[in-house]
Amino acid sequence: MIRLRGVTKSFHDADREVPILRGVDLDVAQGELVAIVGPSGSGKSTLLYVAGALDRDFGGEAVVDGVRLAGLSAESRADLRNRAVGFVFQSFNLLSGLSAVENVMLPGVLRRDGREAKAAIRDRAEQALAGVGLADKARQPPARLSGGERQRVAIARALFARPKVLLADEPTGNLDAVTGEGIIRQFAELARGGLTVLVVTHEERVSRAASRVLHLSEGVLR
Amino acid sequence: MTRARGLLWIASTTLRADRRGTILDAAAACVGAAALVFFLALGLGVSRAAQRMFPADARLVEIVPGSVALGGVLGGGKLDDDAVARVGRLPGAAAVWPRVSLRVPMAAPGPPKGLDYNWPPGMTVQLPVMGVAPELVKADVGEALSFEDPGTADRPIPVLLSRRLLEIYNKTLAPAWGVRRLPTGVSIVGLELPVKVGRSIVPQKTEDHVYDARLKLVGLSDRVPIYMVAMPLATVRRLHAEYGKAEQGYTQVTVLARRPEDVPALTAAVRRMGLSVDEGERATAERVGTVVLVTTGALVFLAAIMCGLAALAIAQSLSASVRARAKEIAVLGALGAAPADVRRIVLAEGAIVGLGGGAVGAALALGAAVLADRAAVSLLPDFPFRPETFFAFPPWLPALGVVVPVLAAVLGALAPAAAAARVDPARTLS
Repeated sequence: MIRLRGVTKSFHDADREVPILRGVDLDVAQGELVAIVGPSGSGKSTLLYVAGALDRDFGGEAVVDGVRLAGLSAESRADLRNRAVGFVFQSFNLLSGLSAVENVMLPGVLRRDGREAKAAIRDRAEQALAGVGLADKARQPPARLSGGERQRVAIARALFARPKVLLADEPTGNLDAVTGEGIIRQFAELARGGLTVLVVTHEERVSRAASRVLHLSEGVLR
Repeated sequence: MTRARGLLWIASTTLRADRRGTILDAAAACVGAAALVFFLALGLGVSRAAQRMFPADARLVEIVPGSVALGGVLGGGKLDDDAVARVGRLPGAAAVWPRVSLRVPMAAPGPPKGLDYNWPPGMTVQLPVMGVAPELVKADVGEALSFEDPGTADRPIPVLLSRRLLEIYNKTLAPAWGVRRLPTGVSIVGLELPVKVGRSIVPQKTEDHVYDARLKLVGLSDRVPIYMVAMPLATVRRLHAEYGKAEQGYTQVTVLARRPEDVPALTAAVRRMGLSVDEGERATAERVGTVVLVTTGALVFLAAIMCGLAALAIAQSLSASVRARAKEIAVLGALGAAPADVRRIVLAEGAIVGLGGGAVGAALALGAAVLADRAAVSLLPDFPFRPETFFAFPPWLPALGVVVPVLAAVLGALAPAAAAARVDPARTLS
């Protein structure tokens, strides 16, 4: 489902080039839950954004859901992210002016084929919220939700478009232990259901739930 | 849900989230739209009133005999049938209608039948009469009425009055005389006025032979001089013959140009023939039109500046909003929005703000015009040609009041939209 070959990425800092990824090879099969661990600044998030077609300036080869990312237009990459990739972030990244259900609706609203009516999108978003136990919070703005509730809204949003790949960047970093455990269990269930899950984390408990744990250090995956 | 509607939904929900900022931006667009619609409506309304007051036809040229005496001595500058024929052959001349002043005095010793209340007791009115070609006023003659010489004294002579005379009578003469106003419009057409042909209010000018006749009003026309009665040219000629008045050529000739652009060349050719052009009415109308146009233009320019300032305000506000929302824009990118989609969302935000502000502004302008008209009714005296309303709202004007702020707002949103499209989701979310 995800295949990276010799992926390189570097940043420009003043006049010098700072390498972040140094020839990363990675294969994640369908239904696998893979955890990538590593110290802060090791390039974990960068690797995730390359795999999620969010970062385009990288070297090497990346294939997601059978689509080769190199040379893909901005429109096609956006379409791939919308259809095949779901993102979950450490800081939830919900749109503050929108209610919980409106946040979940976003991938449906941004869909390029646009065949689904708005009412149908809203119904599905409400069902998705019900699926993460937040049916009664649908009309609440993110500011009125707890950290765990916000992350569950973010997961509902990431899963709304029925993606093939779920990419999670420190998904439990801002949650208490109990809530974090719940989120990890949910990821494991999703992987068992056939979803490919790639989690970037530095937490032991996440690694324990993963089928594979890879270490990223100094831009190299081991 | 189509993609366009989806992006529009995101734009509107984003604006809803920042109600205060949205209302402030819309208020800026609203002021610009209101000023634009109000001033344009005022300019159009005043222009319409001025046209009523000075109904100059851009294609008509009024020719009078040459003012240079030498020309008259040598036969040039005289308005006779030959001159009329030559004028009619000039390039750009579509029609020529001669006019002759009646040199037989005519006076009305009493009111038209049924309008006794509109006549001060004992008053006799000397009637200045102009004979005109029927074709000149054909369009203004009432239905089933004729503007032809009746031939005999026992049938009424058809006449036309200036439309403006009625207005002046109602607003100036009637209040001064303390008599009733006449109904406006064509409802007075058909009235008959008893007159004495040959009689003058100056006794020495009264002819030896005076007889009774009737004038019948068959229409109102802007082509009749304001203080004159127009009767058929043939009637004037007949009366001149009856009283032994020698033919002296025409008093005036009206030329209809094929197009308004032909008028300058036509005027120059007429002058070369030794004739003069009476530009009094036309010049007044043009001066008034120019004043109205320049004033309206200045006010519209002011309104355009307001719309420009609104665009700047929206640009500044959206730029700040885009900077503040960089992370949210990056999230939209992660969820499937391409840079072009992000650009469209911000442009749609501008358009929605312009649309809302423009619609409210146009409505406010309409309300302000109603209030201004009410104030004018209570504050201004009832002078001649005072319009019912000082404003004109053609259907395109409110639409323009909405379209211009929308365009201004979209223009203002261009730079913020480009900045939003440049947001790099990967870098912003890292």
